Amino acid sequence: MASTVIGAGITIEGEVTADDDVVVQGTIRGKLTSRDAVTVESGAVVEADVASGPLSVAGAVTGNITSSDRVDLQAGAKVVGNVKATRITIADGAQFKGNVDMDV
Amino acid sequence: MATRDAVTVIGRGTHVRGKVAGDGDLEIQGRVDGSVAVDGDVTIEQGGLVASDVSGRRIVVRGAVKGDLTATESIALEEGARVVGDLRAPRVAIVGGLVRGYVQSGDGQGAPRGAVKSAAVARPAVAAKPAVPAAKPAVVAAPAPSAPRAVQASNGSPAARAAQPAPQQVAHVSRERAEAPRAISLAGGAPAAKQGPPPQVVPSLKKGAKGALKKKA
Repeated sequence: MASTVIGAGITIEGEVTADDDVVVQGTIRGKLTSRDAVTVESGAVVEADVASGPLSVAGAVTGNITSSDRVDLQAGAKVVGNVKATRITIADGAQFKGNVDMDV
Repeated sequence: MATRDAVTVIGRGTHVRGKVAGDGDLEIQGRVDGSVAVDGDVTIEQGGLVASDVSGRRIVVRGAVKGDLTATESIALEEGARVVGDLRAPRVAIVGGLVRGYVQSGDGQGAPRGAVKSAAVARPAVAAKPAVPAAKPAVVAAPAPSAPRAVQASNGSPAARAAQPAPQQVAHVSRERAEAPRAISLAGGAPAAKQGPPPQVVPSLKKGAKGALKKKA
């Protein structure tokens, strides 16, 4: 089980900093930073800049994404913002608007 | 909605600066600065630190809180809890831990806070030492100086009457802090009879001893 879970129905306005993995099912507005994996589940809303390890998105993210690892945009994901990561996958059915920056 | 069983966990290494709101249960093992206001249950685990007001349905504290706790149902402070702030809930249980603050249980329709505060002069002293009610409660210590006066005035009734409330107070302090302010304001008038007169500040001298000293000098 993930060490930090933002459940559906919960809204955090502000800054979230975590050492371990974070699962977002609810809403975060502000900033989200994690050293480990971040999962934005379906139905979740993240209106924040995200800096993390591996990032998996099935919900909505509005903000710039910086990942030290890979970013997976799954089907149903809605992402508006620039993505900087070592690897990125965008599944069929994911909506994405923004720049992609990979260390080429 | 499936949010009732949706649990939100702020993990050990997680720090939230800002507002946490919504419905669903919340478990805090990390740090929260800002405010916490949820409709569900809030559990602040051992190692958890909340530097803000917390409101919820039921609040269980095993960690540290610096802020007011307000619950619509109950508050329980368990072993390891450290709270600096006021507690307000229909039911307040302090099973263990340390508290410094005002406690109000019941439906909150009683006397307004200001009135209680003015009556209970000893409030900070009580709040400062909540964890060791059995050892040396501040409540008993405070009225001690006035004890001899009352005993001298009439040996029988006030002392005997005072003997009754004193131990009860101690039990109240440990069991339900909400009762404490009222109990103390009562105690202000009725001194604890358990303790005898305090030791004399000035050592007693025999009659004529002063004169003898003067003569020697």
